Formats: sequence, C-alpha cells, structure tokens
Amino acid sequence: MKQKIDELLSQANEKIKTVADTKALYDLKVFFLGKQGQVTALMKELGKLPKDERPEWGQKINALKKQILELIDSQHKELELKELNQQIESEKLDLTLPGPQIEQGSQHPLSKVTEEIVEILSRIGFSVRSGPMIEKDWYNFEALNIPKDHPARDMQDTFYITEDHVLRTHTSPIQIHTMENEKPPIRILAPGSVFRCDSDISHSPNFYQIEALVVDQKVSMADLKGTISYFVKEFFGEEIKTRFRPSFFPFTEPSAEVDCSCPICKGKGCRTCKDTGWVEIGGSGLVNPKVFDYVKIDSKQWQGYAFGFGIERMAMIKYGIDDIRLFNENHIDFLKQFQ
Amino acid sequence: MKISLNWLNEYVDISEFIKAPEELAEKLTQAGLEVESIENQSEQFKNIVIGEIIEKAQHPDADKLTLCQVKVEGNKVLPIVCGAKNHKQGDKVVVATVGACLPGDFKIKKSKIRGVESQGMLCSEKELGLSEESAGIMILEAKAPVGEAFAKAYGLDDVILDLSVTPNRADCLSHFGLAREIACLTKKTIKMPKAMFVESSKKKTDINVVLKNSEDCPRYMGRSVFNVKVGPSPAWLKQRLESLDVNSINNIVDITNFVMLELGQPMHAFDSALVENQKIEISSSKKGEKFQTLDGTELELTGEELMIRDGSKPVAMAGVIGGKNSGVTESTKNIFLESAHFTPQTVRKSSRRFGIETDSGYRFSRGTDVEMTELALSRACHLIQEIAGGDVASDFQDEYPSPEKKPVIDVHVNFVAQKLGYNVSPKDFEDCMKRVGCEVIEKDEDGHFKFQTPQYRWDMDQDVDLVEEYGRIHGYEYIKETLPILTDRPSAQDTRYLLERDVERRLMECGYMQAVNYNFTSSVEQKALLGDVSAWNEYGLNLSDDDVKLLNPLNEDLDVMRRSHLPELLKNLITNYRSGISYGRIYELGSIFHKQDYKEDLHLSMLSWGQAENLWQKNKKRPVVYDVKSAVEKLLTALGFNSFEWQLVNSAPSLLHPGQCVGLKLQGKLVGIVGTMHPKWIQENKIREDIAFAQINMEMIKKSYPKPVSYKKISKQPYVERDLAFILQADQKLGDILKEIKKVLKPDLKSIEVFDLYQGDKLAQGESSIALKMRFQAVDGTYTDQQLQELMQKAIKSAEKTGAKLR
Repeated sequence: MKQKIDELLSQANEKIKTVADTKALYDLKVFFLGKQGQVTALMKELGKLPKDERPEWGQKINALKKQILELIDSQHKELELKELNQQIESEKLDLTLPGPQIEQGSQHPLSKVTEEIVEILSRIGFSVRSGPMIEKDWYNFEALNIPKDHPARDMQDTFYITEDHVLRTHTSPIQIHTMENEKPPIRILAPGSVFRCDSDISHSPNFYQIEALVVDQKVSMADLKGTISYFVKEFFGEEIKTRFRPSFFPFTEPSAEVDCSCPICKGKGCRTCKDTGWVEIGGSGLVNPKVFDYVKIDSKQWQGYAFGFGIERMAMIKYGIDDIRLFNENHIDFLKQFQ
Repeated sequence: MKISLNWLNEYVDISEFIKAPEELAEKLTQAGLEVESIENQSEQFKNIVIGEIIEKAQHPDADKLTLCQVKVEGNKVLPIVCGAKNHKQGDKVVVATVGACLPGDFKIKKSKIRGVESQGMLCSEKELGLSEESAGIMILEAKAPVGEAFAKAYGLDDVILDLSVTPNRADCLSHFGLAREIACLTKKTIKMPKAMFVESSKKKTDINVVLKNSEDCPRYMGRSVFNVKVGPSPAWLKQRLESLDVNSINNIVDITNFVMLELGQPMHAFDSALVENQKIEISSSKKGEKFQTLDGTELELTGEELMIRDGSKPVAMAGVIGGKNSGVTESTKNIFLESAHFTPQTVRKSSRRFGIETDSGYRFSRGTDVEMTELALSRACHLIQEIAGGDVASDFQDEYPSPEKKPVIDVHVNFVAQKLGYNVSPKDFEDCMKRVGCEVIEKDEDGHFKFQTPQYRWDMDQDVDLVEEYGRIHGYEYIKETLPILTDRPSAQDTRYLLERDVERRLMECGYMQAVNYNFTSSVEQKALLGDVSAWNEYGLNLSDDDVKLLNPLNEDLDVMRRSHLPELLKNLITNYRSGISYGRIYELGSIFHKQDYKEDLHLSMLSWGQAENLWQKNKKRPVVYDVKSAVEKLLTALGFNSFEWQLVNSAPSLLHPGQCVGLKLQGKLVGIVGTMHPKWIQENKIREDIAFAQINMEMIKKSYPKPVSYKKISKQPYVERDLAFILQADQKLGDILKEIKKVLKPDLKSIEVFDLYQGDKLAQGESSIALKMRFQAVDGTYTDQQLQELMQKAIKSAEKTGAKLR
C-alpha cells in the first residue's frame, strides 16, 4: 500500500508540474481524484485491508489526496497566470488607430446664443414668451406708439403681406401680446425671427432678436442699465463694461442705445469696434406711458423697461463671425463648430 | 444729414471744435445725435499748394510734355513735368507736391518721366475732384498767394459732419437747428441769421392765397419779389451748397435751398407769370389728373395728394416737389415765394406713394417748425435782394387759421430723479429745461414745475420726455447700475421654447446639425418641389396648399412664406455637396405658414445624405432612410413619446421614393413622414449619395409637452433570451409581424430585435429570412420551461397568422 501511495505521489508530482495548460490539468485532476481516478481506486482497496490497519491507511490516502489537490491548485494558479499573460500578449491593440466615429451634431449658433441669453436672464426671473411672425399692423406698430404715416415708420423697412398684416419688424409685438394677456408685474423675454427689407454683408432680411420687458411699480434707468450690465458681464466676460447713449424709439422714453466695451480687443480698438473700443449691441429704454395706454395698463401705477439685442450681432461679436450670410448658408463646416 | 462746421460757426461759436471736430462729434453722439462720419476737406488737399510757373520749357525727350520750374514757397522751386497745353510762364497753378494724395488714391511721388525728374504734379479741376470734367490744368487768378495751402486759400478747409438724426429730432435737420442744440449742450448763446431787406414802397404781393385744407396745411405764407435777376449764384453760395452735395441751379433756387439747409424750412419759388389767375390754392388733387414734376416725371394723381394749384392746374405737390410748369427759369422776372407748414402725414403719404424723395419732403415728413415759416420767408427775401436784386412786396400772405400751441407739461423733480435713478436738484433741472427751450409757467419750492415746451420740439408732450431731456443733457454716464426688485414669483417658461431647446439637444446627440433658413422662399421653386400638397397631408403634415405672398418681396426668390422647410434644406444640401461634403445630417426646427388665418405650425424637418465612413472599420452600407428613422425614434423616445408606430400609407409625395416612405403615427394619428428622396431628383441634381428626409408636425407633441416621467416598478427577475427565425413572403412587412408578436406577448416581452436579415440563393425570389431575438422577463417568479415554451408558441402562431413561416 505504501508503495502504491508513494508511486502515485511521485507520479502526480511529475505529471502535474509538467502539465501544459489548465485543460490538461483538469484532465489530470480527473485522472487522480475523479470518481474513476487513481486515488479513489486506492480508497476502494482499503476494504481489503485488515480492519485495524484501515484507519491508518485511510488517513494516509487522504493526506495523499490533499497533497495532490494542493499540487493541482498551485499549478492551476501558475497556469492561469501564464495563460492570462499569453492572452494579454495576444490581445495587444494599436490604440493609435482612430476609434469608430460617433457622429456629433450641433446647435445652430443663433439657437445657442438665444439659449445662453435666456439662461442668464432666467436666473433673475425672466421667462420666455413667443408670438407670431405675421403680425397685424396694430401689434407691430400702432400699439408700440408708431402711428400710421409717422416718421418712425421709416426706421424699419417693412415687408407687407396685406395692408394690415406685416412680417414683424421686431420682437416688440410680443410685449404687446403679453401685456394684453397677463397682469403686471411682468418680467419676460421674447426671442424670435424678424424681418426687414434690407440685405447686405451686415444686414439680413430675416434675422433674430431677443427682447426683455419688465413691468413693475417702480422701474428706473438704473435698473435697466444694471440688468444689461449684469447680462453683458455674464455673456461676454467680467471685464466688459456697458455704456448708454441717448437715442429714440417710439415705444420707450427715455431711450438709450446700448454699447459694451469691445469683447474682441477688450476696448483697445480693433476692426470689430472700428477702433472705437465700443460695440453697439442693442436698444433700450423705459416703457413709454403711451404704450401702457394702448394695452390698458395704468401708467400711473405701473412703470417698465425694455431692451433688445440682435442675436446675429451677439453671435458675430461672441464668436468673431464676420459675415452675416454665413448664418443661413448652413455649411456643415460652419455648423459643426457650434457643439 | 451733412453739416458744415464753418457754416455752423456762424450761429454758435464752435471755433474750439473746428480744430478738434472729433470732440464735437463725441459730444453730439453722447447727446443722442449720432455722428456717423467726419470728413475733413483739408485732409483731402494735404500737400497741395499754390505755385507759380517761373519757367516753362520743352521736355528734352517728349514732344507732348513740358518741363516747368514751379515756385512753391520762398525760394523753393520744383521741377515738374506736365502734359497739359493751357499753361504759360507766370501762371498761378495748383501743385500737388510729393506726399499729396489725389482722389482715387493717387499718391504723388518723386518720379522720372522720360528720364527727367518731376517733383509733383500740376492739377486740373477734375484731378482735384472739384468737377466732373476739365480741359487742361487749373489756372488761378493772378493774385493767388504762392506757397499757401490750396484748401485754405480757396475755402476748402471745411469739416463736414454726417449725422444720423433720429426721427424725433426734426428740429436738428438744419444748421441753425443744430447750432441751437449745441448752444444748449455747451451753454453758449445762439446768433440769429440776418433777415433785413427793403420793402417796396408801391408793390404788394400780387398772388392771392386760398387755403382750402388747413388740416394738412396748418399754415401757408407767401410773398412776391419783383424784378429779380435770375443768374448763377455767387461763389460763396455755390460752395455752401456743393460742400453739402446740393447742386447749384440758379441764384433763386439756390437761395431757397440755402434757407432750407440753414433754417430747416423748405421753401419754393414760383415764377409769378406762370401762376394763372394770380391765385395759389392749397387743396387736394383730382383723381386721374396729370402732374409733371420739376425733373420731368409725369405722375397720375389719385385725388388724395395735397397739391398747390393756381387758377387752373396743380403747380406743386405740397412739400414734396415743384411742378415743371411754374418753376423759376432764366427768363423769370417776378417770383412768388412759398414758406409753408405741411403736416408730416400728408407729405409722407404723397412722397411714398410716388417714391419721390426730396430734401424738402424729408424735412416735412419728419416735422417742421410752424413758426419758422416767417423767419425763413424774410431770410429768403434778404438773400434775394442781396444776390438777385428785386423789389420785395410790402406785404405778405399768411394763412394760419388756428395757431398751434405746444403742450404745457406738468412734472415733479422727484419723478425725474426716480426715473433716472439719481438725485436731481430743482435748480439744475430748471436751468436745463430752459436751455432746452422750455418756458417756466409755474413752479413751487417743492420742485414741482409747469413748462411750456418750445414750438420746434414736436416730440415733447409728456413728463417722461423731460426726463429724457434732462438725462441726456446731464449725461447718461451718470446713470447707476442697480437691479429691479422681484416683486412676484417668476412665471412659467413658454412651452414651445422649452420643446425647441429639448429637440435641439436630443438631435445633437443623434449627430444632427441644426440649420436655420429664411422663413420666406421662392414661390415657383416651392410649388415645383412640394407638388400636390395633399400627398404630404396624407401623412398628417397639414401643409398649406396656398402661399402667403409678400406684397413687396426683396426679390422673386424670396416672395412667399415657407409652407415646408424642404426647399431650403435641399438648397443647403446642394451647397454642401458641391463643396465636397458627401455626408450630412441636418435639420430645421421652426414654423411653416398657412394662408388660412396666417397660422404658423411648428415642424421638424430632417435631411440626411451619405453614410459616415468609418475608414478602417468595415461598414455595411445600409439605406440612409433607416438612419433617419432611428434618429426619429430616439428623439421621440427621449421626449417621452415612445408609443409611436410606423404605418405604411398608399401614396407618397412626388418628391419622395414611392417604395421607401413610411408614416409616423402618434396617439392614433399620422403626424409625420420618413422617406428617401426620389431617385429622379437625386439624379437631376447630380448627387451620388442616398438622401433621406423626415418631417414631423410637432403641434400635437407641443400640446402634450413636457411628458411627465412616471416610474414603473422594476422586476428583480433575470432576463431570458430566445431566438426565432421566419421566412417572409415577398411584400410581407416585418413591421406587421413585430406588431403582432408584441401584442400577444405582453407583458412578458421586454424587447424584440431583428438580428439578421437574409435574402438570396437559399431562398425563393422575393422571400427573406429574418432572425428575431426576444427578451422576456417574468413579472414575478422565474419561468418554467413550459411557460417559455408557451410564450414561444404564441409568438410563432401570431407570426404565422401574418403569413410568415417558421424557419
């Protein structure tokens, strides 16, 4: 019996240590320890031994079984490591090759700028309102204190659909709709597409504007300037300053053109600001009480301010785009830059 | 509007600004009168001096050239080669010396002409930009000062400002008016122009004025001047007009123009001999009546224009333009001067109706000063007597039935302070208002005022106008920066805005780029491309079958509003494709227009062409239309509308491939289409890529947007996968099988995917084999084999019901 045990052990030692892979090792495990295996067969021989010898040999066979198992386990670990290394070696990839393209879409710069302006101003309580592009004369002009045959009508070259319907020349009619439909206090933003009969390198016949309107009990020019200044700093950068110049809009009084220090050259003078250090970004003013009269808001009780920007202009300054026509050509190489 | 600083200086002392016009420009701009450009005439004549030809000789090597020695200053003599013929020794000439730059960016340099050095150029009027044509060089009068700058000696050293005057400041559309504004801004005094003349002892105004329409013409003044000598204007007058780009005609016409530019009051001079019945009547035109303007254009009147008529015919269109039949000519002896006030509305209407733009019409339609008519008339008489001689009638006509009075404005200084956001002292405010031209009617200790506003400021009629005046004169730079107090909670955001941004974000993730096109397009192209609109509307798109036309389109390519985004998107595709971009995914999200009530619907249109090339990775080419379809599916799912279905519709729009079109159904209604562009269109446009298009009517989605997210309890049970393969007959649609299977396997079936599609040799013609992978998840407990078997049987049965065979 002892001889058999020794033989099996040395046989196991030899075979297990020289085995090539985990698959062959498993076969060896079956060969020695399986149901039909060598050690199991030895166990069965125990019965033939005298009863008093059985426990001793039984223990020895068990010890043998344990030794073989340990051999297998340690060999298994070694083989596993080896095989893993082999796998790693064989799976080397050239990761300098480009990965498959994931197509990236984009948001049109006009939408992107609109969204950014709305985001900045929503933080201080403004909400978006919209309105139709084909407007009645009353909404586009009359209610904004631009009566028929008033010289202010010359400020905007208008596209007409009928005598009484125009393509809105500004987003201001949305102010009128809102003031007709909602009660003050009002704090809204009106982005949208507007139209003027004008087309060249810096004028598009169909462009975009965004307008802000506040109606509240006491509203001052300082509130207006403060709001615009906050916006300008958020949109163009902390160091950009805001300046007002007197101007004229029939629907505001007092009125002001809004300039900001040139975001491109930081006020030093460049092509964008025509060496003045300032760029014009929009118009603004306190709501003319006559407009409140048109929409039946009591101008003794309520005051307001409004300001508006051209979205193309904002995008051109912000991104350094020099030709307004690019916005509508929709060239992929242009569009893909605005992700 | 152009303003000459030399001229301006006659009414207000701006000598300090003449050397630094930028400062004046800045001052005006900051006060709301934007200066667009400054033209310094002397800059244009830099290094151009008066010289004397002290010697004229033949050029040694050229017959047609002369070599002159020209004295320019002191003892400096320049050799100059000259090709002209009209000069001789001793002539005073204009010399462009080295460093000068003549109009047309012609720089004068030291040069050699046929081997002889020339240090400048003798100039003609044309070369100096002083006239259109000229024969030979300019020969100056003998007393011209040698060595002096040409610009200074000849009064060409003026500075011209170009102002953009806003419509409310009609009072600044003249030199006097602007001087008044500058006097207000700089606290200086204003000088009045001279209006002194000798009145005739015998002759009275011989034209009778009949004002029939005082609503459109509140005031009409007129005066006769007899025995004038019509002829060319003196040099100073010509120069004043020409420096502001007004052509000189004759002395009388020039004077009326001069007075307009000086005082802002347009005037007109009639030849009295041509005014029939010695009568001037201000009344409306007669419908169909003909009228020939000064420049010879014949107009047919509508009966609505305000006209100036004599005893029988119209002689001028009020405030716009005079008639050819009654103007001042060389043979005119007696004239009748008109100085009237026509309302902006009436002049604007006439001028726009006939598209006649004149300096007079411009000023009237912006609003002139009703009280200026008097000064203007006297000023014109003064100038006429001085320049053209003549007897000024001893009286004048003045029809002014209801004199206008400007409003009195009630204002409290605290109101001004509240609106501007800073303190305002009553004294400061009062001073400022007086400078503006207001008269104090009433005031109290507390800071309450009543002001009479000046006649020339029609734009001032309420308290906020005075707020603006104070603010702008004091300076907008004093306005502080504060934020308005939020007195109520912010309101909800507009749904369409939120939806648009959401769609933009989702489509960006799907690889789509947003395009923005004009909202108008070409009617012809749109009609040709869309074809029969009902074919699109079969898919629930609800396109308008009639155009919304523009009355005054920019051009015929942009003459109607869009009924679909497709025409412009196709143009985008062509532009991109021609520049070599063979792959693109673009979309447009925006309104399309209906003729009916001018309704606007929100639509999403997606256009895709070509396949992304994944270079070294093999990429099975599949029809682009499937890409579009998956983008639509991903978008709808992301927006929370995952209950969409695809439905085949019998017909297809003519622009799309009839065999590659499918309808999108949402909540039981067709709302969109996905399809491939018709091969005919693709071929015609020479495109070698597959093109697919999708359009969704977003109105229904907008109505139930945003979809609330509601959590569904998740099962802890493991997923079980089972595969099935079927053979489909020709024309059998997989979609039908999937729909059936989904229906019968609810709620166990979690997903079903097509993982293989085979058509070919092993199958009969037209047949295809598809392999489906289904994933099941039990609601509770685990599946037994038998349960799974039952599910599979159900799937097979329902597929077979549609005609498919289990493979």
